[in-house]
Amino acid sequence: MNTTSTSRPRSGMSVLLATVLCLLAGTVSAAETSSLRTLGPPAPSKVRRVVTLAPSLSEMVLSLGAGSTLVGVSRFDEAKEVAKLPRVGGFTDPSVEAVIALKPDLLLVQPGPGNQRPVEKMAELGVPVLLLPLHSVADVLAAMRAVGKALGREKEAEAVVVGIEATRTRIREAAKKLPAPRVLFVYGFEPLVVAGPGSFADELLRDAGGINVAADASSAYPVYSVERVVRARATVVVDAADVDVGKDKLRALPGLSSARWVDLPSMSLLQPGPSLGRGLEELFRLLHPEGTGKAAP
Amino acid sequence: MSEPATSQRAHGGAGGFRASRAVMLFGGFLVLAVGCLAVAVRFGEQSISLTAALTEPTSTDAVIFWSLRLPRALLGAIVGAGLAASGATLQGLLRNPLADPFVLGVSGGAAMGATLALAVGLGTVGEVAPGLGGAMARLSAPALFSFLGAGAAILFVLSASRGSASRAPYAALLTGVVFNAFASAAITLVKTLSAPDRLGEILYWLAGALGYERGGTLALSALLQAGAIGVMWVLSARLNLLSLGDDDAASLGVPVAATRRWLLLAASASVAGAVALTGLIGFVGLIVPHLLRLAFGPDQRLLVPLSALGGAAFLVLSDLLARLAFPLFGAEPPVGVVTALLGGPLFLALLRRRVRLGTSH
Repeated sequence: MNTTSTSRPRSGMSVLLATVLCLLAGTVSAAETSSLRTLGPPAPSKVRRVVTLAPSLSEMVLSLGAGSTLVGVSRFDEAKEVAKLPRVGGFTDPSVEAVIALKPDLLLVQPGPGNQRPVEKMAELGVPVLLLPLHSVADVLAAMRAVGKALGREKEAEAVVVGIEATRTRIREAAKKLPAPRVLFVYGFEPLVVAGPGSFADELLRDAGGINVAADASSAYPVYSVERVVRARATVVVDAADVDVGKDKLRALPGLSSARWVDLPSMSLLQPGPSLGRGLEELFRLLHPEGTGKAAP
Repeated sequence: MSEPATSQRAHGGAGGFRASRAVMLFGGFLVLAVGCLAVAVRFGEQSISLTAALTEPTSTDAVIFWSLRLPRALLGAIVGAGLAASGATLQGLLRNPLADPFVLGVSGGAAMGATLALAVGLGTVGEVAPGLGGAMARLSAPALFSFLGAGAAILFVLSASRGSASRAPYAALLTGVVFNAFASAAITLVKTLSAPDRLGEILYWLAGALGYERGGTLALSALLQAGAIGVMWVLSARLNLLSLGDDDAASLGVPVAATRRWLLLAASASVAGAVALTGLIGFVGLIVPHLLRLAFGPDQRLLVPLSALGGAAFLVLSDLLARLAFPLFGAEPPVGVVTALLGGPLFLALLRRRVRLGTSH
């Protein structure tokens, strides 16, 4: 029966699809311009108990000399200063119960769609929350200042920010006099994930006088085409990958076998935090082994 | 008038549908579900003092008890009830023991919607449509998109199940399977194109986890599930008759096409509502009705409400296990993982026992 009335659900379907597409179209820009926000009640003027949901955020607190206020960190935190602190879960899956039980008077969060609901819940239950996006270097500096303000340590925060900015200026000047290597910054080999435009690694590469061969990529951390990499003729490959799976295969490719492969000497370049200045200096030395004597302090 | 015929065919000596037996079973399962709820709010990652939770409303214990555990356990109960009741209904409706709430393509549609939202990096509806404002703006965008995706899948399947009545169950089943395959390819495409940090969020969502919802959201989803389960229950006697075959059922006065459409709609709506809040939690809708059918026979009038209560208990307990595993891993495993790890072996064990006893039902 009813074979004649099939058009109704179909038109419903197209209306739905059209709605979804319209919604999607209007959004991409809105999502990119995320900025500093607070949730929940205002933090007390004297913050005593801080919980962070990302290692970079713990480092910010530590760099301000406020490590004693930390009472809980993410399971990804590796700094020895926080080794004994309780773990409250990860970036997308914090344990609301664990955070609430720690009674923080400030929660530092790198916002994302994955942790939106648990974080909102914590704010609703009376935890003052500071949302700190950490995509670009500017984001990191803004976050430093915001954390400093919340902890009553504006001066220390300003010092860290000024230090990073001074390092950037100095390294940029030094890099001007040196030849610019073509650099591929690799986060993973299989699939090939590299630092693209909009990542803080890309910004630091430019500061250090390098040319990011993946600057034409579509996003900050794109999966990159192997053919393009071969054509890009990188002279330096920075290996920031966690695991070496697929590394040998990539290294054997024409153009990449002749490049100079370097490992990161520390985590400084991987965390969008106060160690960015140190990371930049390390990167500069990696890219210009010949000219480092003059540039490093 | 038609009831005795069905019961005879349907029950094969498993006890039959008597009012006293039904009431007893409902009572037992209600106690089970409430008991599981009580255990789930009592225990968790943090150990709390029950007296403090009940007597000092401002204490941390009370906050954890009332504002975290209770809503989360209720969400588990609501979602578990919906998934298991839909599973029971769909297995009868599609005449396929492997049918589960996700077979209709609802999961595919929902997953596609949420994956898109996560891949683009949308947090709230406010970011999608900044003009909306108010309560709508704070809705989670992945939840909204998964609901829209599930809705699209439902329309697809319903349109396919029109037409000649005899092929309708198969058409619905096939449409669902194909839709799921298509959606999973689309999701893989989106995942391939997504940045690694977004990928983690997508994988986590797809695994299915109970989160923390506001009271209003809980009430709304409870209403939706109560309505959907109500429809499935009210039509369960007719569904029994449908198992005789469409022609026989029609000759007994059952409006075959309308019954089928209402049941499909109710089951899909229930699953869509569940998926939007929790992601894909598998196995509850497959395992729980099967276990109960093995134990109490295939009468849908019993199966639908018992599945609802049993599904609620099962999911609430699974989530408790997930929360208790936190200190072990430093993270909560998604509850969908727990239901599969628990449900799979449980089901196989029971199936083996029944086969050995020679009762293949």
